[in-house]
Amino acid sequence: MSTAVLSIAHPTPGQAAWRRFRRHRLALAGAVIILVLVVGSTFGPYLLPFDDTYIDVMKRFAPPLSGAHLLGTDELGRDVLARLMMGGRISLAIGIVAMVIAMAVGIVVGAFAGFYGGVVGAVLMRLVDAVLCFPSIFLLLALAALTEPGLVTTTVLIAATAWMGVARVVEAQVRSLRERDFAIAAIAFGSSNLRIMFRELVPNAMAPIVVAATLNVAKAILLESYVSYLGYGIQPPAASWGNMLNNAQIYLTSAPWLAIAPGVAITLAVTSFNFLGDGLRDALDPRMNIP
Amino acid sequence: MARYVANRVAQAIMLLVVVSAIGFAILHLAPGGPLSQYAASAQMTQEDLDRVSRQLGLDRPLPIQYLDWFGRMLRGDWGHSYRDGGDVLSVIGSHLGATFELMATATIIAVLLGSWIGVLGALRRYSLFDTLATVGAMIALSIPTFWFGLVAIYVFSVKLDWLPSGNQETIGDGSLLDLLHHLIAPALVLALVETAMWGRFMRSSMLEVINQDYIRTARAKGIPEWRILTRHALRNALLPMITVAGLQFPTLLGGALVTETVFTWPGMGRLFLDSIGYRDYPVVMGILMFSATMVLLGSLLADILYAVADPRIRVG
Amino acid sequence: MADETSNFGRPVPGLPSGVSNRRQFIQLGASAAAGWTIAGSAFAQTERPANPPAKPRGQVIAALSQEPTVFHPLMPSIEVDQGVWWQVFSPLWFIDSEGNFVPDLAREVPTIENGGLSADGLTWKIKLRSDVKWHDGTAFTAEDVKFSLELNNNPDFRARSRVGHSLLKDVKVVAPDEIHWRMEAPYSPYMSILSLTFIVPKHILEKLPDPNASPFHNAPVGTGPFRWGERVPGDHILLSAHAGYHGKGPYLERVVFKYIPDLTVLYTQFRTGQVDYTGLQGILPNFVQEAKALRGHKVFVSSTSSVEHLAPNLEFGPFADRTVREALYLAINKKAIIDALNYGLPTQTESFVPQQAWSFQQGLPQHNYDPAKANALLDAAGWTRGAGGVREKGGVKLEFTNSTTSGNAVREQTQQLLMQDWRAIGAAMRVNNMPAAVIWGDYWLQSKFNSVLVGVNFMLGSDPDVTPRFGSGAIPAKGGRGYNTYQYQSAEADRLLAEGARQFDLTQRKATYGDLQKLIRNDLAILPLFQGFIAEGVKEGLQGFRPNINTSSNCWNIREWYWA
Repeated sequence: MSTAVLSIAHPTPGQAAWRRFRRHRLALAGAVIILVLVVGSTFGPYLLPFDDTYIDVMKRFAPPLSGAHLLGTDELGRDVLARLMMGGRISLAIGIVAMVIAMAVGIVVGAFAGFYGGVVGAVLMRLVDAVLCFPSIFLLLALAALTEPGLVTTTVLIAATAWMGVARVVEAQVRSLRERDFAIAAIAFGSSNLRIMFRELVPNAMAPIVVAATLNVAKAILLESYVSYLGYGIQPPAASWGNMLNNAQIYLTSAPWLAIAPGVAITLAVTSFNFLGDGLRDALDPRMNIP
Repeated sequence: MARYVANRVAQAIMLLVVVSAIGFAILHLAPGGPLSQYAASAQMTQEDLDRVSRQLGLDRPLPIQYLDWFGRMLRGDWGHSYRDGGDVLSVIGSHLGATFELMATATIIAVLLGSWIGVLGALRRYSLFDTLATVGAMIALSIPTFWFGLVAIYVFSVKLDWLPSGNQETIGDGSLLDLLHHLIAPALVLALVETAMWGRFMRSSMLEVINQDYIRTARAKGIPEWRILTRHALRNALLPMITVAGLQFPTLLGGALVTETVFTWPGMGRLFLDSIGYRDYPVVMGILMFSATMVLLGSLLADILYAVADPRIRVG
Repeated sequence: MADETSNFGRPVPGLPSGVSNRRQFIQLGASAAAGWTIAGSAFAQTERPANPPAKPRGQVIAALSQEPTVFHPLMPSIEVDQGVWWQVFSPLWFIDSEGNFVPDLAREVPTIENGGLSADGLTWKIKLRSDVKWHDGTAFTAEDVKFSLELNNNPDFRARSRVGHSLLKDVKVVAPDEIHWRMEAPYSPYMSILSLTFIVPKHILEKLPDPNASPFHNAPVGTGPFRWGERVPGDHILLSAHAGYHGKGPYLERVVFKYIPDLTVLYTQFRTGQVDYTGLQGILPNFVQEAKALRGHKVFVSSTSSVEHLAPNLEFGPFADRTVREALYLAINKKAIIDALNYGLPTQTESFVPQQAWSFQQGLPQHNYDPAKANALLDAAGWTRGAGGVREKGGVKLEFTNSTTSGNAVREQTQQLLMQDWRAIGAAMRVNNMPAAVIWGDYWLQSKFNSVLVGVNFMLGSDPDVTPRFGSGAIPAKGGRGYNTYQYQSAEADRLLAEGARQFDLTQRKATYGDLQKLIRNDLAILPLFQGFIAEGVKEGLQGFRPNINTSSNCWNIREWYWA
């Protein structure tokens, strides 16, 4: 009951935000492209007559549009389009799931640190600082060595290098929000701390969180390709945009389409998520200034 | 101010201790070890490997190894590389120059170009220039660096033969012209992302400033636009960029890693990657401590500079 | 030539390559051919129409995909390091590309005939050259040899290996140019070990309080054809001609070893002319055709002594059954692996012995790609198809992981092809690749793998004594000394190995090791794919490049290289 009355400072913030977002044409374009990529990767493979892992060494390196294969075939004679779609599933899933994990960890750590402050806050935020001291490459390589490479571990690894930024944003927001009237009122009403934190304070910090989330998806997709480049990541024969791009490296001069297809896919997806984040930032809080 | 700095430094030192302990543990607990490379080429028997492991002190309990390493580091002995036997500080020192050359060049390009793009974008918000700059920056931030580097080599070195396909210099040449010729491609590749980032930050910082009251007041007073721009707007817009620069500085070390690999640049990034690959524990720990110090120093300096530059801010 | 150590650092798409151990070298009867030659069309040497110049001239930039970092030739090292040692240091003798022992610091190679070796092989008497100077001008003497050999046994010194050296006793300098010693037991491989033991200067190293903190890390001093110039860590090493070199050459003024970690970049730099020679690990197979067509460049594809194979862990579930191994072998499409994935460069093999070796057994059963027969074999042996088409027998499922160094493009392609071919016969394989520092540690040595795709040089130098590889006492996981990570155990193999090691007659040995090759092929202790190879590029006009299968580095004779 307190939420409804107290937390809504603006009468129709949602509509206003939507209006501002719609004006941001690039963000809208980004959202549409993301939708296309997601739908394409999800349903596309069912429409293709080719299996993404079926090898036919007699048909290696068929150029695009030269036959049944729209985007040509790769170094093992597999259909590039099928692999691109299946790779999209993995890369987008990694990006989104890694973001969700990073968000969850970051929000919890940030909320606790910001709400309790004092020793708890200091310890938690110093932990964040400590992890930020590690070059993310070190974290990735060292953690990768500890686990078997694969879909789950790659996702967790990427999340492990991304939650600190969120924690910082949330901590700052929660710290300032908890001094506001509605939080003080909620405390007066006798709500539990957890309830105040996650029902009152965090939702009010949603704007920067949402922006950070979209940008994190972009970062995670890009990181997946770096992890592949450094020799970890998704194991063959499964495709990801990152390992496709990495495998195409040595054929850059002889079969450039192998590198162009995943390269364009990554750039397109990452750019779109970045634009989306940009648009959301303008829409949700025009004055906000987070990178 | 002095107390604030002292407090921050004390915190930073404690953080470094924590970082060193975590880093040491992760590194040593990871499977594989510095002797795998010898086991791979099968020139040493298990007996030989065990002996060398004992001689290197790798058979001792981990906490003992850590305390030993930590104690030595406090006395200024960062250990010796398992690979070339050099002491860690001089190994790092020998790679620092190359990375610095690359980073400094890329940063200068990024700051100049990025500031120009950002300011112009803010002044002519939603113009064609602004839109193109925005789209360009987003794409630049989205292209995997190694991919861009390889394409650059293919186009400019293999096809057009304008630029060398990597390396810091032609061995035995040593002229400034030769150095610059080699620097162009990697510096531009590295600068691409930096420029995009710097431009984005500059734009939003500038936007914030030009909507402030004092700028409007200045305009109302009839002060010429260029003067408002240089004297008031730009100065204030650059202030938050100090923080950005401070936080950005250490990530350049990591960002150079991929560029250094693609362009055969003998810098810190390559050293770090190789040292992790060979499990050269002393060097990895050395680089880790070095870069952690840089991170902490970067944010500390940024805060102090910010306070000095803007007297309205009170730190503490 | 290239070995697994090439994959440290960032894993680069690599060549099929071998784990090698050329530094140990058993040669029973030192008068027999020491090594073997690379004959046939696979190997050609640069023609030399012009004569070498009278004075050292020009420089060569040799690219390596790994960085040489160890310049003390007696310390733990990897293969590329040897490329530098060959230039800076000298051994007592070496093995040339024709397989002959050639004296270097020694005046002659000791044999029983010339009195250098006693008939029981226990006493060695080496006569040394007296005209050799260290790079700093000090004269080389027998004291240096004594110091070097004994350094290996110094308990404080991180010696690379004490194999052979630990048998030394009573090392006596008889004269500045003569040294004698006795061995605790006859050990003829010591001849070969010494061919790759480089001699270090006593007058510099004896003064060090800690033998491991060597000034050699920055400035080694040797007796080799090139003296130390400079090293830019992470980039290059520059050596310059040593005018007073005691042997042939050097004809080049400078040699630069340039570290280029990425093999695609390495080839690109060769192509754009920034590199004169591509050393370890050469040109990627997919570039070879293109490289051959380049003007001003030459490409040499030569065999190495490693054998690319699938290594099963014979103690792991389904692999314990020979029928399974045979069925898996029958279902491998070797032709596709060789012709398509490796561009037809390697030759298929059935043996662990290189085809150029005297001990190679001709006429081993030839592999056939026959999935139908594989299926029939498994059906007959009671491996029935269960859920998902995967066979099982007695509760053991026919599923396993296969590992190799992550990032090795050709091997990863091979894995995926195997996966598909084996799925067709009801065997489920899963890829589980790891970074070099992980896979070649305990995972490999202690037999923690299911199966591994790997190239191994099985020989001890040129000798087919594979006791450390297939002897039942050589299983590290069972406390044995050796590299029998397959955990192969066979009483018959042990018998043949013991017999071969006692035999001195080459014909008899050939028969014994022939039987052993038949046995290993029949037992399918390994599933052999093809013999290892390396494609190296040389800029036109550079003369004297001569691949030597008996050394770890084809840089062994840069002293004889020159520009026409």
